[in-house]
Amino acid sequence: MKDLKHLIYFEKLLENSNNELIQQAKSEGKLAVGYTCFHMPEVLLNLDKCFSVRLRAPKTGSMDIATYYMSNYTCEYCRALLERAIEGGLNFLDALAGVDACAEMNRCTENIELVADLPGEKFFVTHADIPYKVEDFTVEHYVTQIRNRVLSRLHEVYGVDISDKAIRRAVDEHNRVCRIITEIGEYRKLSNPPITGYEFHVLNLVTYCCPKYLILDKLQETLEEIRTRQVDPKPWFRARVAIVGSEIDDLDMTRLIEEAGALIVADRFCFGSFPGREVIGLNDHEDVLTQVCRHYLKVSECPRFMSDEKILQRRETADRLAREYGAEGIIYEQIKFCDFWGFERALTSHIQAEEYGHPVLSIDRPYNARSSGQLRTRMQAFVESLEIKRIQKRKQGGERTC
Amino acid sequence: MLRANLKWAKKNLPRDLKIWKELISEVDWKEAGRSTLENLKATKDRIVEDMKAVAAMTPEERKDRLINGEKHLGKLYRKGQMAFVRREWRGVESTARDFVGWLGVWAEMSKMVMKDPISIAEGLFEYRWLSSYLSLPAFVDKNTLGMRGPHLTIAHELFRPVLRYGADSIATLLMADERIGNSPKLRKKLLMFDEMTMSQMMAGFPNLIGLPYQLMPVFMVSEIDQLISIPYIDAVESYGLPADTCPVPTSECGAAIMDALPHCGLGFISTSTPCDGSTMATSYQDRRFRLPTYPLTLPVRYDDEDTLACGAEDMRRCIKWVEDLTGEKWDWDHYFTVIKRFNEQTQYEVGKWEVNKTPYPQVIGPAYELFRKWNYEMDGGLDPRVMKTFQKVDRAMLQAYEKKMNPYRAPIRHRAIIWSCPAHYYANFSNWLQNTWGIGVLVEMESLNFTKMLNTDDKEEAIRDLTRLYERMVMRKHTNGGYVHVLDELWKQVEEFNAEIVIMYQHVCCKTMAGLQGLFDEQARQRGIHMIWVEHDLMDPRTVSRRDMRSKVNSYMMNVFQEEPLDPSLVDFEDDVTW
Repeated sequence: MKDLKHLIYFEKLLENSNNELIQQAKSEGKLAVGYTCFHMPEVLLNLDKCFSVRLRAPKTGSMDIATYYMSNYTCEYCRALLERAIEGGLNFLDALAGVDACAEMNRCTENIELVADLPGEKFFVTHADIPYKVEDFTVEHYVTQIRNRVLSRLHEVYGVDISDKAIRRAVDEHNRVCRIITEIGEYRKLSNPPITGYEFHVLNLVTYCCPKYLILDKLQETLEEIRTRQVDPKPWFRARVAIVGSEIDDLDMTRLIEEAGALIVADRFCFGSFPGREVIGLNDHEDVLTQVCRHYLKVSECPRFMSDEKILQRRETADRLAREYGAEGIIYEQIKFCDFWGFERALTSHIQAEEYGHPVLSIDRPYNARSSGQLRTRMQAFVESLEIKRIQKRKQGGERTC
Repeated sequence: MLRANLKWAKKNLPRDLKIWKELISEVDWKEAGRSTLENLKATKDRIVEDMKAVAAMTPEERKDRLINGEKHLGKLYRKGQMAFVRREWRGVESTARDFVGWLGVWAEMSKMVMKDPISIAEGLFEYRWLSSYLSLPAFVDKNTLGMRGPHLTIAHELFRPVLRYGADSIATLLMADERIGNSPKLRKKLLMFDEMTMSQMMAGFPNLIGLPYQLMPVFMVSEIDQLISIPYIDAVESYGLPADTCPVPTSECGAAIMDALPHCGLGFISTSTPCDGSTMATSYQDRRFRLPTYPLTLPVRYDDEDTLACGAEDMRRCIKWVEDLTGEKWDWDHYFTVIKRFNEQTQYEVGKWEVNKTPYPQVIGPAYELFRKWNYEMDGGLDPRVMKTFQKVDRAMLQAYEKKMNPYRAPIRHRAIIWSCPAHYYANFSNWLQNTWGIGVLVEMESLNFTKMLNTDDKEEAIRDLTRLYERMVMRKHTNGGYVHVLDELWKQVEEFNAEIVIMYQHVCCKTMAGLQGLFDEQARQRGIHMIWVEHDLMDPRTVSRRDMRSKVNSYMMNVFQEEPLDPSLVDFEDDVTW
């Protein structure tokens, strides 16, 4: 396939947390609000003059200082962010909207607050309490937390317009991005898709890490390009897989999987599009903030939710995505030391294999996957096993026909 | 019940007998004989050595030994032995006190067996964890090592309700277990809850029995027998769980996978308390329990009063769920009666802290911490008999305080606080600290919980208070809701208890604490506090052994304080398989 016109531009944007679009937005007087977790409603960080930045630490090298503060057995994503903050790589932030969802990320945010000393004159860190189940009273609680801990703070400190009108405006812009990404993502259902999992990851990550209003036109253009993109007659991939698990903001991880011959057709991980790029539907008769908050709680697939229906939802979603997108296998992954996904991966990888009938590869991985020869070997072996399964299935089908 | 017992016997006895037969046939009798002879010889050598040591003493030393007991406790351990080689000689008076306490332990154990001897006997074959409880007398011994006088009696007094609570729980579990006792009467009123949930809620349901599900098969037994959790951990890690998760939920999930938990109860109250691992364990256990489940998930940032409404509503709905499930009605009168008792107990607890803050601390050592965790927290005023314990202990403590007595044979040389979660496989570590180095542990983090008097007249406020209590239960109070609860809180407590040393447990799988490691270290240095980091893996002694834990303290005391140990025999010894 011919390269996408803006791919290199998008890749370049992802090489630095403080990329050129963030710098441009800041120079236009906008406020950068950092966040790390899906539990913090992204759309609400894009009100008025604010823009959301889902934090990453690309090109992370040594994490020695963060390891001193957080030990060497905590999540590398958290440590990489702390290291980046201490190094000064997050100095552009005007606020950090944290959630007390997982203990490690919470500690990371606290360390940034206490140790990193970000220079913004009015920079603040806030922590919101997040429910473990979705019921009327927990939605109410979530709304209160987001209002008091996030919106009111932005209004008080920076005079941000947090009115219903401003929320609706942000939702409109958010939905435009979601529609584009969803349409691009739908192409992955085709037997020979005009987009790779890696390319999709790049595009989707850009939507999380850059001011949306500055990328919309290039995203739209990319969508047009994909609509008419000529695919190679013979697909380049050897198998189709879905990924389910904890955060992946490392492009090298998706590259590694696809280099092993597996096309990623569904991205059900934090920083992926399931969930994250669903259109938020609003009605006119209910409080807007409540509608937005409820949306995030309902679509969330975080293993932190411990009620029966959410546990089942996670399993059903993985199964549905694998079937809808024609994945021949599921890769259950977790970043090392992630407690939530560590437990979820171990159990659900068995359930998906034994009860839903999906071939499963279960892995833990470092924050930077590129250098992991072990991961590469496991991916290659998984792809081979999927090919063998396909051949066996064909044979069995053939025998039955005979 | 008898029918169920017979059914169990019919199903399991032939298989179990076959296993026993195989085990016996595989015994290397020559090796067993050689080992027995070696043990006899070692015993003889020890007796000779003891006699020689006594013979070499001056008359004053002999008198001191007779009155105050022995000084070198390391001699009680022998490599490869699970139990002590003999009981500690504590002097005439203290040995008599200890003997009375020892009889009390056997009395509680006997009462447990007498509740349903057949079910208990069958349970011994069905569940590996049950046999570990047979070592309870040894458990009490090791946790009172070096204690003397009224403090020894206090320790036994504190252990008594713990043992009673444990014995009652075990008997109920086995009698209700559908595989063993299958008592329909018990099954109708038995409600299970996660052992990380407090039981005060049961005060409103006097006709129901609330049991922390994993407490006896996993949690408490891991403090009694250091090796008991290993098969559970291995089982779930073989299943695919990473080895870096906390051994508490890990062991619980392993026990569920191995089907090591009794099958009983009308329903299960799961919880998100106290940490991410506990939250996740529910999905494993659910698959084994297959019980109607209510997830009680209280807000994490509990200081924020805006979160209280959500927590209180969850509490109300949980109560309603229990009512609908069991047909029982919440009884406010009974609830208030129990909570009044619990409030009184809290006052006694605060009294202990006040005494320990003075230059003459009295209630120190593991018995206090274990009592707090296993009775004050878990029973929570439900059992009226425990009030007597509080009263007796308070009286004895104040009398000892007036006399400025020392709880141990060895004097207190350093005042210390223990912070972070303790190693279950080394429940008596604070005892070792005192006996070896004179480090008196005045209080442990897990003891410093909620002390607000709970409301006992306004129903709405009472629910809010109950929520506040649950939100601030053991571990959760410190590790949830922001760093101030564990970091700033430590310095506050260090000042209040006038401690010079912090024994900082570094539980290698606790990410909540690990995330603040650097700040603890940095701030301790700024304040000039001796912070001794002691690594452990909570329920898995293979990662960091007891011996490794001791070596951290030994090294600090010898190199930084440049001190000599009070008991050199305890500095280095092997206890890798000791209970």
